[in-house]
Amino acid sequence: MGPFHTPWLTFSAWIVALISVLFSIVWAIWIFKPGEDDE
Amino acid sequence: MSKSFIYPVVLIIYLAILVLVGLVTGRRTKSVEDFYIGGRQIGPWVTALSFVAAYFSSVVIVGGGGFGYLFGMATLWIAAINVLLGGTLCWIVLGPRIRKFTQRLNTITIPGFLCKRFKSRFVLIFSAVIILLFMIIYNVSILKGMGHIFEVLMEIPYTYGVLLSCVIILFYVSIGGYLAVVWTSFIQAWVMGIGLILLTIFSLKSVGGITAANIALQKIDPGLINTPGLWGWPGLISFALIVSFGVWGMPQLLVRFYSIKNLKVLKIGTIVASVGTCMALLPYLNGAIARVHFSSLQTPDLAIPTLTKMVLPPLGSAIVLAGVVAAGMSTFASVLIILSGSLMEDIVGTGLGKELSRERNLTYGKIASAVIGFISLLIALRPPALVLTLTAFSWAVIASTTLWPVLFGIYWKGATELGCAFSMVGGFITALIWMAIGKPFGIHGFIPGIIIGLILMVVVSLFTPKFSEEHIKKIWSD
Repeated sequence: MGPFHTPWLTFSAWIVALISVLFSIVWAIWIFKPGEDDE
Repeated sequence: MSKSFIYPVVLIIYLAILVLVGLVTGRRTKSVEDFYIGGRQIGPWVTALSFVAAYFSSVVIVGGGGFGYLFGMATLWIAAINVLLGGTLCWIVLGPRIRKFTQRLNTITIPGFLCKRFKSRFVLIFSAVIILLFMIIYNVSILKGMGHIFEVLMEIPYTYGVLLSCVIILFYVSIGGYLAVVWTSFIQAWVMGIGLILLTIFSLKSVGGITAANIALQKIDPGLINTPGLWGWPGLISFALIVSFGVWGMPQLLVRFYSIKNLKVLKIGTIVASVGTCMALLPYLNGAIARVHFSSLQTPDLAIPTLTKMVLPPLGSAIVLAGVVAAGMSTFASVLIILSGSLMEDIVGTGLGKELSRERNLTYGKIASAVIGFISLLIALRPPALVLTLTAFSWAVIASTTLWPVLFGIYWKGATELGCAFSMVGGFITALIWMAIGKPFGIHGFIPGIIIGLILMVVVSLFTPKFSEEHIKKIWSD
């Protein structure tokens, strides 16, 4: 059983949502380069 | 203060703000490009939050709560996939290229883009007709949902609820066009978010916290906290995919990428959209909590309205009500503007070759949105049985038809005209037939629809004539 009496597989849904948000931050700040061809 | 006083007051203030936005944006809508894509001048916050508001209709809030009530905490996975695929990855994978390609090809609709990318009038007409037909059906389901919400929460007869919401939407869409749609959706996203957060705080308090909720649910049935739990893998996964990956083919959401000011907007926009789509977790969570309080509701769709009435004070439940109405209105308005674009730009303009002056095009676009909205209203007032059946899979049919052509259109230079045409028709027919024969194995029609569409796109493209270097260079600019 994971946190808050939630089975780990069910709790992973919260983790996936959190990782998605963190990934969007990483992509926006470090990966995405609009560059000079920005129209 | 009693709810009979607060409900109408909150709702009237909210509707008055929408009308005001319609009037203000109407002054700034001067060209056809303004009317359909806001003159490509929309910033990150408005683009991202209006995307979220158009993504989650009242069907998601009320229906999502219903799923949470029926199947428990496993349904949180639907929302998690919404955030990952429908929010974050959709913005990262599609956003930059759709913005670049549609500007290079000077198109303002999805069928218009596909027509120029694949040099095919058939692709244009087919996609525009599918969008027109099934989006009207989708709109009917949204209006119907709003009518029932007014009925349950405010005890306003269904007909008046449908009429009230539709008239307000028609007013601001036909006056302000896309600008009115995104600005009202921006406001509506905040109302939805605040409403859902309020409901979650109070419902968690009512049940003694998330741990207590899980223990109580486990006592009712352990399947209510396990994954896949009572629903099973096929149903859970296919539903999560249709409402997440399906977004990649939905014109009313993809148009957000057309309208951004520049590519830098995508930086903040992607983060805001990812955080915003997290609000999808809340209806499912609240639906599961409702199961702790009410063991046998007449229908699962009553979970959110009933919980709202039980745990929130009148002002709070009025805000939740406004949030649910906001969710429906923002999606309906977004779809309406797409329908008007498909009819006037794709079918009448490019398809039938009717050249209209810019002033006439703008006027007819406004009239078209009002007429299409009125048709949706008439059907929603007394929906025929066939329409009710079709609403269940309108989203799946549209996504199965347009998803691969859009994705391959911006990522694979080898995608051909015939590959696109076969993928569209094959995806459409497969999704339709699969749903018509009653969803074998509990799998949603979207899944076989996109599998067949993918195979046809790749195989047919490999064996049919490629586009000229010149055409590819024009699109890719390299």
